[in-house]
Amino acid sequence: MSALTGFKRSDGRWGFRNHVLVLPLHQVLSNTAREVEGLVDGAVAVSHDWSGEVDSDFERIAKVLAGIANNPNNFATIFLTVGTPIETEIITRSRSLGATELHVLSLSELGSMTALLAHATNLATQLTQKATAVVRVDAPMSAIVLGLECGGSDAYSGITANPALGLASDRLVAQGATSILAETMEILGSEHLLAARAITPEVGKQIIDVVARYERSISYEGIDIRGAQPSRGNIEGGLSTLEEKSLGAAKKAGSAQFTGVLEYADTPPTPGLYFMDTPGHDIEQLTAFAGAGVNITVFTTGRGTPTGSAVMPTIKVATNSEMGLVLTDLIDLNAGTISDGVQTLDEVGDLIYQEILDVANGKLAKAEINGQHEFNLSRLYGSTL
Amino acid sequence: MNEGVRSYQLILPSVVCSTHLSRRIAQEVGAITFAHQHGCGIIGLDVAGIDNFFIDLATHPNVSSVLIVGLGCETIQSNELGGKISSLNPSSKYIVIQESGGVEGAVEKGITEARSLKSRFQGPHLPTDSFIVGIDSASNHEGLILFLENLGIKCVQSPKGFSELMSLKAQIILSFPTPSQPPSGFPLIPVLNVAGSGVLHQALSHEFDLHNSAAYQEIADAIVAVAAGSKTISESNNSGEIIAPRLVRSV
Repeated sequence: MSALTGFKRSDGRWGFRNHVLVLPLHQVLSNTAREVEGLVDGAVAVSHDWSGEVDSDFERIAKVLAGIANNPNNFATIFLTVGTPIETEIITRSRSLGATELHVLSLSELGSMTALLAHATNLATQLTQKATAVVRVDAPMSAIVLGLECGGSDAYSGITANPALGLASDRLVAQGATSILAETMEILGSEHLLAARAITPEVGKQIIDVVARYERSISYEGIDIRGAQPSRGNIEGGLSTLEEKSLGAAKKAGSAQFTGVLEYADTPPTPGLYFMDTPGHDIEQLTAFAGAGVNITVFTTGRGTPTGSAVMPTIKVATNSEMGLVLTDLIDLNAGTISDGVQTLDEVGDLIYQEILDVANGKLAKAEINGQHEFNLSRLYGSTL
Repeated sequence: MNEGVRSYQLILPSVVCSTHLSRRIAQEVGAITFAHQHGCGIIGLDVAGIDNFFIDLATHPNVSSVLIVGLGCETIQSNELGGKISSLNPSSKYIVIQESGGVEGAVEKGITEARSLKSRFQGPHLPTDSFIVGIDSASNHEGLILFLENLGIKCVQSPKGFSELMSLKAQIILSFPTPSQPPSGFPLIPVLNVAGSGVLHQALSHEFDLHNSAAYQEIADAIVAVAAGSKTISESNNSGEIIAPRLVRSV
């Protein structure tokens, strides 16, 4: 048997889950989506608070909604719509991506919320039955599109979980996979080191430019980001400055060359290591990955956080044993063994690599078992660029 | 202390990371909760803005008691938020996931704490004649407001949405959605939706509580019935999210 199995989509991408996603295109339908998720085994849902406003955030919102509908981990997506032209625009955009079977249920066509819930429940039941009948096939290592994330970092992050994840990322990239580092705020202060690893001078300049753009956008608000970061939890965890946090955060990307820079929720065009411009906000970053077509994420954490995604398995790696051996129902792997002197960095790097393959092959990550389906549509970007 | 027209327990997640656990606790104890994306990664005016928004929710007249659920490492610290809320609503407590042994520990502790909270209101819950109706509309409803106020029903109006009316302590919302917007609801406040004459509203006529030519008396009767406990359509559907005001992008 091959090391990796998955589901090949019609656009050539690979999925490691076969979800039926229920995706509301108006906030008033978010509860219906959650109800369908609760009623139909195998259906997943996200909720959000967007009411179809078309403002400077619309482009990003449309990209994320069309993108998550087409995440390769979805077998099918059911759009729940009110029946407005702006929703049709997003569905048209989503169809042009072409990865997933798309269905639309419209409240104004069905006439009532009760009818919408009944139709969505029936359709989700039929689609999950179809999805269950699809069998996994052998997949190449290039099927993996890995998201690298950290949240609730502490002083151990940069010496245990992050560099161990970096080793796993390097190994996967060398085998033809894609890996994405993100969180622009968390490379602030270490961008020159990442730019030096760019595949071309142009990509290096893009990394520097993205950080400068980010810093301008925040100072535009009259705020020095260094006064707000590290966060209170980071400081309690022993981090002193944003630069220290950044140097640790960047270790998740190992030592591979950077192939390119991606805007928020953009799909990487070829395999390789990328940097994506996202906030450090855990869920805005997870949402960007889901929209970009990331099919598995590793999330290192010092303080411990339960969050996950409706579409991407999210593996939690603890940076320290003090937390990792206590919050066991939200942590998948403990990298605290490195600072405990029990395991080496290489050994934990191997464990993370194997865990990525196991979870890709169907082992459930803790956040999946716990049904953590966080999602959000980030706002106020247009005004700050 | 103003008593509301509803008496809900609120499970208040102080950060996006605790919204899912809050829903599990709320489902178990029959409380209200909501999903949101705030509480961390916020800077500038939003830190106080989100804090105040949470305080407004927790002290709303329709809220009988509050359990705050925090993660632990976020910007808005639940012990500090809990301190501010308990001085205004003594029927409140907080729990922290990172200090509760993980997901199951926090859910278990949350259920126990939520059940231990008594309502801050005494006796059987009765509607009062001093409730406030929030009018969600950008248009002028002077005639309607005069009519309602003559009946002793206080009104506040805002074009900024349900959350603003919540902060103004509206206990019932009368909403006039624009022609491109569907009728919607708000988890803590019954919302009566009045239809317009557009195509979308005609298609959704079953989801409106009042038609577009409803007389003032008809509207007043509907408000009084809702105050006495009858459910609005959006309330029965549990439709509508709580949208927090934000001024600055996340970091």
